[in-house]
This record gives sequence, structure tokens and C-alpha cells, in this order.
Amino acid sequence: MKKVLFVTCSLALSVAMISCGGPRKEPGRAYMPDMAYSRAYETYSSTEALSSKGINYTSTPVEGTVARGEMAAYPFKNDSTGYARSAEVKNPLDSASRDMKEAERLYLINCGICHGTKLDGNGPLYASGVFPAAPRNLVGDPLMIAMTEGTMFHSLTYGKNTMGSYASQLSTKQRWMITAYVKEQQAKKTGTAAPAATAAAAPAPAAKDSAVAAPKK
Amino acid sequence: MILCKPIGQRLTVLFLSLFVFSVVNVSAQDAANGKTLFTSKCAACHNVFKKMTGPALAGLEGRHKWSDHNELLAWINNPAKYMEKDAYTQGLKASFGSVMTGFPEITLKDVGDIVAYINAAEAEQKAGGDKKAGPVVEEDTSSQNALIFGIISLVLGVVALILMQVNSNLKKMSDDSEGIVRPEPVPFYKNKTYIAMASIVFFVFGGYMVAKGAIGLQRQKDYQPEQPIYYSHKVHAGINQISCLYCHGNAWESKHAAIPSVNVCMNCHKAINTYEKGPKLYKENGDEVNGTAEIAKLYQYAGFDPNNPTKWDPSKAKPIEWVKIHNLPDHVYFNHSQHIRAGNVQCQSCHGEITAMDEVKQVTDLSMGWCINCHRQTNVNFNYDSTKGNKFYSIYEKFHNDIRSGKMDSVKVKDIGGLECQKCHY
Repeated sequence: MKKVLFVTCSLALSVAMISCGGPRKEPGRAYMPDMAYSRAYETYSSTEALSSKGINYTSTPVEGTVARGEMAAYPFKNDSTGYARSAEVKNPLDSASRDMKEAERLYLINCGICHGTKLDGNGPLYASGVFPAAPRNLVGDPLMIAMTEGTMFHSLTYGKNTMGSYASQLSTKQRWMITAYVKEQQAKKTGTAAPAATAAAAPAPAAKDSAVAAPKK
Repeated sequence: MILCKPIGQRLTVLFLSLFVFSVVNVSAQDAANGKTLFTSKCAACHNVFKKMTGPALAGLEGRHKWSDHNELLAWINNPAKYMEKDAYTQGLKASFGSVMTGFPEITLKDVGDIVAYINAAEAEQKAGGDKKAGPVVEEDTSSQNALIFGIISLVLGVVALILMQVNSNLKKMSDDSEGIVRPEPVPFYKNKTYIAMASIVFFVFGGYMVAKGAIGLQRQKDYQPEQPIYYSHKVHAGINQISCLYCHGNAWESKHAAIPSVNVCMNCHKAINTYEKGPKLYKENGDEVNGTAEIAKLYQYAGFDPNNPTKWDPSKAKPIEWVKIHNLPDHVYFNHSQHIRAGNVQCQSCHGEITAMDEVKQVTDLSMGWCINCHRQTNVNFNYDSTKGNKFYSIYEKFHNDIRSGKMDSVKVKDIGGLECQKCHY
């Protein structure tokens, strides 16, 4: 009788222990919750309760705000006039403040997925047939070679056609670095012919710099 | 010269492709040429089946006057001029919000080729609608192992009990036959040895469980909450090779890796509105997930209408409330940029094989012992003999000299303060 009881108990116990499977859906408890959970406002804390407490909170900065260390804001709005006038804007970064290695890193992370690591418009997302729109061939398309850095910057900032805005992912400086990188790669790819064309389209110092940079390497 | 009046939408498409093939002496080569042209000129804004920056081109010839390729050519060569006296294309501008770029270099033959390609692609789509193979679901073997071990230990335990019983019975029998009279055996629950043994086992086991439970407080290993949208890291970062930093770019620059805002999702999902090409997705309980429906959930948050992609206003988007999985207590300071940028640590070192996970779970316990252990073992990338690379550690002059003179072969994180309390607790 005792044996039966013992066997049943141990069987029940083992079943209970084994059945504790499946994904864990609860984060669990904390010791000393006042040390574990921040009383201060943390990233991604809810801001909904703040206004009820009489705290004035705005989630977006005032329009035209320039962050400390950030470059001056881009002057044109996201409309056809802005797009047309964007060609006038020159890359404010001089060749000393451009880190081309960093620009390449940024390009590969943010742009390469569609426009391809070789800038040929054949990134993994498009090549595998997942993305339905053909990304621009940044080094082969005459339209892209003729496009000025200012217009590229405009498209990066506000998005163009299927491409979305990258202003939330890349700072102003990073966006200018990427346009400089694209121009540099275009100059490399097309040799000496392209820089003349870009210089004619927009006599930006950036285009000249990239033309000089190409033979150096 | 092709002149063909539309007879009926479906018929026209078929007829015209035949017509084009015979009259302009078009062979199969031309659909291929059309594909090349389509990819290089049209595909940036048009898709055969999907409305994007411009309309979907399937069934093109059934619309407007496009069955006449000369009309189509005039439109493609100079959209602005064509639109002046044409209500249909003016309507297109109104609904898509922009006018097509002109392609003056396109010829009548090119138009025929492109249309041939579009029709061929459409026919192919209709023919091969259902050829999808379901991937084999791999069984999780770890829980099965636990079950087998449990059963084996139970059987062994029962066998041991029976043997002990047999042993005592045999002893009693031999005692009886030899005439030795022993006192009546005490039942096992009154036997002091048994009680002592049981209490020791209870104490050890109970103590272990209590200690384990106490240590496990606030540790969230294996935490895998249900997210508002079934987002598969395997599909995005694994199969489609999107860099971790595309979405979690803040990890490079700040303390937090950050969750991407809806507009980052929409960078791609403005165009990708169905889930077709990837493997079948399953929840933990085995339910199949409809990827397209999950993308539709994203559109709910974004306020995006896939039938009207050009009308989307990103400022109307609402944030998705993802559930944070990796939590550290408030009294611990952890900085992502310090680890991945200066320390060159890969995301997978702490987060596991994210690229193979559909639903993310925490794979490490993020305990202090785990942090310290890594700080003890990991070499710092010092770059002591080169000018390029990480110059973050250039102030550690003594270590650089020791490495140069051969006194040290490597510097661990603990050598540069990786074990100091105040580095993480202040």
C-alpha cells in the first residue's frame, strides 16, 4: 500500500516537473523593486501619464531645432520646388571632415540592402525577389551620375518614390557623408568621364573632391 | 503598325500578345529584351502586380488606349505633353500624386517588348499559383530527453526499492532458519537512520531550490513574451540579410539599442505588402502564422493603405508597443555603444543566434556572474602597433609598452577596469 502511494507520488512529481515546458511568457519577480525599476523617466517609458500629472511633455523637438554638435538644418521643404532647388545645395563637409571608411559603413548598413554593396542597384533584398521595386543603380544609371549631391541629400532626407526618409536613422552629417561616398564610388567606376559631367551639372566642391580622391587610391 | 481594337479585357491581352508576336516579327527573345528594359527603366516605380509609385502594369492593354502601342509610346516619351489633352492620365496624376518621368529614348519596338514581358509575367503568375512546399518542422528534442531521463530514474528508483525489500526479506528468512531472534523491525518512517537521511536530503534539496529561486529573481533567461506583431528576426536579419544596425542603429551611438520606429519598418514595407517567398512561420504552440496578415497589422499602426501607397502620411503613424525582453535592473549601467563600437562585440555574443529566431527570447541570464566572466576572458582589441583601427585604448601606455616588450601577450577587459564595481554600479 505504502509502495503504491510512494510510486504514485513520485510519478505525479516527475510529470509535474516535466510539464513545466513551453516558452516563458512572464519576466518574473524582482528583489527590491525600488532598486530594479527606475523612478526616473527611462527610454520607452510611457509618456501618457505625464500630462495627467501636470507635466508638460512634447515628444518631438520644436521645428528647426538643431541638436548640439549637429549641422545646420537643410533649408528646403519636401515639395517639388524644394526638390528642384536641392541641386543648388552643396555638401558642407570639406574633405578633411569626411570619414570615407565610416561613410562606407553607413552605406553598407542603410543603403546596401537595396542598392547593393557595389552600388549597382542589386542588393540582397531586390536580388532575392522579395522587394518588388528596382532600386536605382547608383553607379550605372546616367540619371544618378548626373544627380547632384544636394538632390541626393534631399531624397535621403525626405524619401523619393518607393524609398523612405532616412532622416530618422541618419544624422545630417551622416547623410552628407553617404552622398559623398556615392559620388566617390561613381567617380571610381566611371573613371575620368563622370566627374566632368557632375562638375558641369553642379560645380560643387564635393564633386571635385571625389574626382581627386579617385585616382589617389 | 499595330491596330487592334479592344474586344474584351482578358481577350485583348491574349490577342495582342499573339498579334505583336506575329506582326512585328517578335520572337521569345523580345520578352527577354522587354524584361531588361523593364528592370532598368520601369521597375523603380512600377511593378507588374503591385501598385507602387506608379500603377501596377498587369492588364495594361485593357486600360485606356494602351492597346494602341503608339499611344503608349507617345505617353512614355513625353508624359507632360501627352497629359495636356488627356483626362485619363490627368486622373492618374491625381491619384498617384506625381507624373511619370519621360523616357524619350524608348522606341515603338521597346514598348512592344516591355508589354510582351508584362503579359508573359502575368501568364506565368496565373499558371504557377500554387507550388509552395511546406518546410519540415523540426521537433525540439530537449524536452523529449528530459522525459526519457525522468522515466529511467523513476524505474531505477523502483528497482532499488524492490531490491532493498527483497534483501531484508532474505535476511529475515536466513535469520529464521539459523534461529537468531532479532527484535521486531521498526517501520521505515520510525527508523532514525531513514529519518536522518530524509531530512538531510530534504535540507539539501530544499536549500538548493530556495537558493536557486532567490538567485533567479529578476533574471529572465528564456523570457519570450508575445509581441503585438509576429516579427521574425529570422526572416529579416537571417534570410534577407538586413544588418542589425539598420533597425537598431542606436546601438552604435547610444546606451540603448533602440526599437525602430514605424517609419523604419515602412522603408521596406511600403513596397513589400505580402509574405510569400519565405518559409512558413509558426508560433511556439505550432499554430501557423499568416505573414501577410502580420504585415497588415503593421499597416494598421502606420495608417498605411496598400491600395493607395502614394497617399500615405507618415505623421499619422502610431507607435507599436513592443514588449521589452532584455531588462537590466535600474542599479546596473549597461551601454551598447561601448560594447559594440569600442569593444567590437558582436550582437550574437549576448543575444544568441538572433538570425535563426522567429520570436526572440533571451538566451543569456544577463547576471553579474555572466558579465564578469566575459570581462575576465575577453581580449581587448588594443591595436598597439598600428595607427589605424580602435584608438580608444591609446591612454593605456604601460600596457602598450608591456605588449611591445613581450611582458604581456594580451590585455583582458578586467585589466582595464572591467571588474571594478563603479564601472557598472553608481
